Amino acid sequence: MLSIEGFQKTLKYWTMFEEGLVCTVMLSLFTVLFGFILAMIIALMRMSKSHILKGVSSVYVEVFRATPLMVQLFIVYHVLLADIDLPTFKMFGFIRFERFIPGVIALSLNSAAYLSEIIRSGIQSIDLGQTEASRSLGMSQWQTMQHVVLPQAIKNILPAIANEFVTIIKESSICWTIGVQEIMSAVNSVKAATFTIAEALIIAACVYFCLTFPTSKIIAYFERRMSRGDRR
Amino acid sequence: MTGDKLIEVKNLKKYYNKGSLHALDDVSVNINKGDVMVVIGPSGSGKSTLLRSLNLLEVPTEGSIWFHGVDITKKKYKDETGAVVKVNIDTHREKMGMVFQHFNLFPHKTILDNMILAPMKVKKMSKQDATEKAMSLLKRVGLEDRADAYPIQLSGGQKQRIAIVRALMMDPEVMLFDEPTSALDPEMVGEVLEVMKELATEGMTMVVVTHEMGFAREVGNRVVFMADGKILEEAAPEKLFDHPCHPRLQDFLSKVL
Ligand SMILES: Nc1ncnc2c1ncn2[C@@H]1O[C@H](COP(=O)(O)OP(=O)(O)OP(=O)(O)O)[C@@H](O)[C@H]1O
Ligand SMILES: [Mg+2]
Repeated sequence: MLSIEGFQKTLKYWTMFEEGLVCTVMLSLFTVLFGFILAMIIALMRMSKSHILKGVSSVYVEVFRATPLMVQLFIVYHVLLADIDLPTFKMFGFIRFERFIPGVIALSLNSAAYLSEIIRSGIQSIDLGQTEASRSLGMSQWQTMQHVVLPQAIKNILPAIANEFVTIIKESSICWTIGVQEIMSAVNSVKAATFTIAEALIIAACVYFCLTFPTSKIIAYFERRMSRGDRR
Repeated sequence: MTGDKLIEVKNLKKYYNKGSLHALDDVSVNINKGDVMVVIGPSGSGKSTLLRSLNLLEVPTEGSIWFHGVDITKKKYKDETGAVVKVNIDTHREKMGMVFQHFNLFPHKTILDNMILAPMKVKKMSKQDATEKAMSLLKRVGLEDRADAYPIQLSGGQKQRIAIVRALMMDPEVMLFDEPTSALDPEMVGEVLEVMKELATEGMTMVVVTHEMGFAREVGNRVVFMADGKILEEAAPEKLFDHPCHPRLQDFLSKVL
């Protein structure tokens, strides 16, 4: 059960939680970045005229949404990257690169499947008249996408992307299973050292909450400000 | 006033719903330089489809559209030397300005940015040149003080005038108008028609789909009446309005005039 002594014992390892926090933030940031780029490619593939590109991207999205993230993570770490020697150095002096990267890859691949659907719906929500006006001015399909459709689509889907970011922060906790030293791995280390886990779990929950709650509040704030801009 | 053939439409057909709906049913028409061709007809008669086919926003099912001696419905053509050249639809569209019923201004860009985007990206015009050109066009339509406004801040009539000058930025050889005043409050129709009339006076080749019969009569030099995807009658405005031949046209005019 929880006890004051338990918390005191656990808090001696506070730096591990701090490092875990930094690691979780880094994992999430890299994941949205790579996930978004990949998602953009998949979304454009899915909307292209080519049956092959459409097929490949549809299969990708369905497979990644229909299988557990844990399985995807293990396949990336134990199968895809099993025979690849990643450089072993520590980012910020404590994040092990060779564990961090497989985590980022798996999370990015996974969230790209979800983000691509968000991006696709955002693009499809833009009135066809915008594309027609742009094309009638002589702009190419790609120029139209780049200067007319995407800027409007991204503005519309920013809240959904931000929500996906919060989801990624929470789901990144799974990466402790391949030895990424994020917040959950701090819990595990404390358990090994003190033979107590309850207090460490409570602290981990608090740290996650302090990370995600303000994030979603900030998002909500910008969402409100942006919709105000629309009304002018 | 009118001169050489600019656009030649030959046996154009556009079918929807697996061929059960004939939006365009064997339409042939020539548009000459300097023409102001007004297209009238009941709803669903294929006016928009014809206009949108001209710059291939709709891809025809059959038939051809010749522009500068090139059939733009084909992917390739042979030039004078016999070499096979790819048809680049973007370069043809550049020469055909289009104005839509619902303006279709880019809401995330200011009026000025709406106007200079395509000239900069397509014609590779410098920002300074494009801005200068845009300002002089804005002055022409009396909106130079709205350059930094966003479309949402403008009235419908202002938006449509901007849409017209945005198309003019590309120096088109022909302007296509699809019911440019149908979405406007009545008191704003005049200001848009005025701009169009001025364009016509300057000799711009125009194809105008409209329900404004006054405009058709006053500004048009040819009026085309469409019904069921066909051109049923074509004549000078005085003749077509005062002595309509086809019963469908007589019926249509009795309803709208
Ligand atoms: N994308 C489409 N899919 C199916 N049918 C279509 C499509 N676009 C147009 N049509 C049909 O083609 C016919 C001609 O349409 P079009 O829009 O050219 O008529 P219009 O003369 O412009 O009518 P309006 O005055 O109402 O604008 C109509 O019956 C319309 O329903
Ligand atoms: Mg129409």
